[in-house]
Amino acid sequence: MSSSERILHGITVSSGAAIGHAVRAFDPLFISLNLRISAEEVAGEVARFRESVEKSSGQLRRMQAQLKRRNAEESSFLIDAHLLILQDRLFVDRIIAKIESDRINAEWAIQQVTDDLCEAYDRLEDDYLRERRGDLDDIVRRLLHNLQSKHMPPIGKLPYDAIIVGRSIPASALFELRSRHIAGLVTETGSSLSHTAIMARSMEIPTVMGVADLPEISSGALLVVDGGEGIVIVSPSAETLARYGEIATQAKISRRLAAAAASRPCATEDGVRIYLGANINFSEEIQAAAECHSEFIGLYRTEFDFFREGSRHDEKSLTADYCSVVKAAKAMPVTFRTIDVGTERNTLETMNPSLATRGLRFCLENQDLFRAQLGALLRTSVKGSVRILLPFVSSIDDLDLALAIIADVKKDLSRRKEPYAPDVPIGVMIETPAAAQTCDLMASRVDFLCLGTNDLIQYYLVIDRSDQSTAHLYNPFHPAILRCLNQVHTLLEPGGKPITVCGEMAADPASAAVLLGLGFKSLSVSLGAYPRMRQTMSSMNHGRLRELACEILKMQKPAEIESMVRTSIGLQPSHHP
Amino acid sequence: MIERQIAIGHRMGLHARAAAKLVQLTRRYKSEILLSRTDLNSGGGNSSEADARSILAILLLAAGHGSTVAVRATGADEAEAVDCICEYLKG
Repeated sequence: MSSSERILHGITVSSGAAIGHAVRAFDPLFISLNLRISAEEVAGEVARFRESVEKSSGQLRRMQAQLKRRNAEESSFLIDAHLLILQDRLFVDRIIAKIESDRINAEWAIQQVTDDLCEAYDRLEDDYLRERRGDLDDIVRRLLHNLQSKHMPPIGKLPYDAIIVGRSIPASALFELRSRHIAGLVTETGSSLSHTAIMARSMEIPTVMGVADLPEISSGALLVVDGGEGIVIVSPSAETLARYGEIATQAKISRRLAAAAASRPCATEDGVRIYLGANINFSEEIQAAAECHSEFIGLYRTEFDFFREGSRHDEKSLTADYCSVVKAAKAMPVTFRTIDVGTERNTLETMNPSLATRGLRFCLENQDLFRAQLGALLRTSVKGSVRILLPFVSSIDDLDLALAIIADVKKDLSRRKEPYAPDVPIGVMIETPAAAQTCDLMASRVDFLCLGTNDLIQYYLVIDRSDQSTAHLYNPFHPAILRCLNQVHTLLEPGGKPITVCGEMAADPASAAVLLGLGFKSLSVSLGAYPRMRQTMSSMNHGRLRELACEILKMQKPAEIESMVRTSIGLQPSHHP
Repeated sequence: MIERQIAIGHRMGLHARAAAKLVQLTRRYKSEILLSRTDLNSGGGNSSEADARSILAILLLAAGHGSTVAVRATGADEAEAVDCICEYLKG
C-alpha cells in the first residue's frame, strides 16, 4: 500500500504528539512601504512612531498583568525584556534620530536600526545570546503592526486543531494565542533555547523547530507533530494517523485507564514479566510519567533542563533541581543521563556534528560541568533512587576516564562531608557501533546498560537522520541492526548486567516485538507512547516472538522482515516500499 | 567619575534575565552608568562601551560568566551606583 506520507525532521523542543491542520503563520517581519518624507513631516512621523511605542508598551503591560494573575512568572519576565527594549535609547532614540536625519518614515527607520542591531547579534559567538535577536524581531513586528494603527492579525478564527507553522513564531504571538487551543507548533528557525520554546514547554504544546522543508507544508494540510521525536509527518497515512490518534487520545484521556491496567505488573500474554519505563526530556514530565504509572524513568535527558534559560550549573543548584526531580518521582527510580550535547549546539563549527564532540566526549572536555553534575547526582542519591547514565560512549578509555572522575568526585564529597549513596548504579549508553561491539567489556565495568537504538541505527546504517536525502533509509528492520541487537544481547547474557532499550524501536509495536523476541525485557518509551505500549505488551506472546526472532535473523530484506513481523503480531502490513 | 572592575558572577553571564534586572537597577540612579569589557584579548564579544540602561547594549557585551567588566558612573550618586551595580554583577 503506497502513501504520500512524508517525514520532516527537526529538533525536539517540547514533547508530546499532536494531530491537526496546518495554519501558516504570518511572516513576523512583513514588508512595509519605505517612504521618504519632507522636513515638515518629520515631527508628525516621530509622533506617529512614539504613539506606536506607547501602544505596544500598553499591550505588553496588559499582557503582563494577566500573566501575573496566572502566576506565570517565567513568562512575565519575557515581557519585561520586551518592555525594556521599548524603553531602550539604543533602539528608540536611534530610530527617532534616523527619521530626523534621513527623513524617512518610521517603518524604514525601524528596519534600518533593527538590521544594524541584528547584524551585531549575529556576530556574537554565544548561541544563547544570538537567540535573543528573536526578542527584537518580536518587538519590531508589534511596532510595525501598531504603526498601521490596525489590530494585530486576527487569530480568533483558528480551527480547534490548529498546528501553527511559520518561519519563526515569536514568543509574544504565543501569549496572544494562549486562550485558544493550539495543537502544535512547527518552525524553521529557533532552538530549544528560544523564548518561544520555553513558552511552548510551559504551555505543553508539542513543538518541533529547525524543520528545513517548511514550504512543503501548505495551509490546511493534515499534519502529525511528534515533539518527543522531533518529527513532523505531512499527509500521514491512515495507519500513522491511527497510531498517533491513539497516542494523543490515550495521553489525554485514558491515563486513568492505563493507570488501572498498571496496577498489575506489566507482562506478556504468556506471563513473561516486561519492565516498561518512560523517557522524559524535562523535569515537569515526571508528573505525567507518574500519572501513567510508569514503573521507572528509563531515561531523563538532562541537557534540556541543563541548558534552559536561567538554570544554574553549580553543584548546589543542580542538587536542588535533581532532589525535586526524585521527590516528584516518588517510588520511580530515575536514570539521569549526563548531558549529551548533541548535534544542535555544534552545527556551526563542524561539518558533521553527529560525529564530533558530543555525549561523554563533551563531558570529558568540559569537566567542570561534568563534575558539578556528577556531584549533584551523587548528593541526590540519598534523597531518592538515582541511576547515572553516561551517554555516547565510544571507547573503554573514555569510560575508564569517566569512572575515575566519578570516583574522584565521590572522594571530594566525602572530604566535604556531603552524604551520598556509595553504590549509586552507573550505566553506559550503547549507541555507537564501537560500544555495541564491546558492550561486554563495558558491562564488566558498570552496573547497567541502556541501548539507544536511534543513534545506533543512524551510525550503523550511515544515515544522517536530519538529512532529507537519506532519512528514508533509516530502518530498524535492517538485518545489520537485527544482527547487532542479537549480538549485544548474546554478549551481555553471561554477565547478567541489566539492559534497557530506550530508543524509538521500543515505542513501536512491531519493532518492540522484535526486541522482546531477541530477549530484551526492559524497555523505556516516550510518555506519549507509554499507555499504548503498556497495552501492547499484554497482547504479545513471548514464546512466539522468540521463534519469530530466529526466523527473521535468517532473512535478508528489511521490507520482508517488517512485513513478517507485522503480520505475525496481527498488525496491518506496512506502507513502506 | 568612579570606575571599578568586576568579574561577572552570574552562572549564565549577563543573559536576558540578568541584563533585564541590571537595567532595572540602574533606574534608581541619576548618574550616567557605562559598562565595558576589559578582558577582550581572550575571545569574542563587543569592545565598545555599553549604556547600562540599554538592555540591547548590555546583551551585546556578551559578558559571560567570569568575564570582567569596568563599571563607570558619572553623576551625583556615582559612588552608590557603582557599589550597587558591582554588588549585583558579583552574582
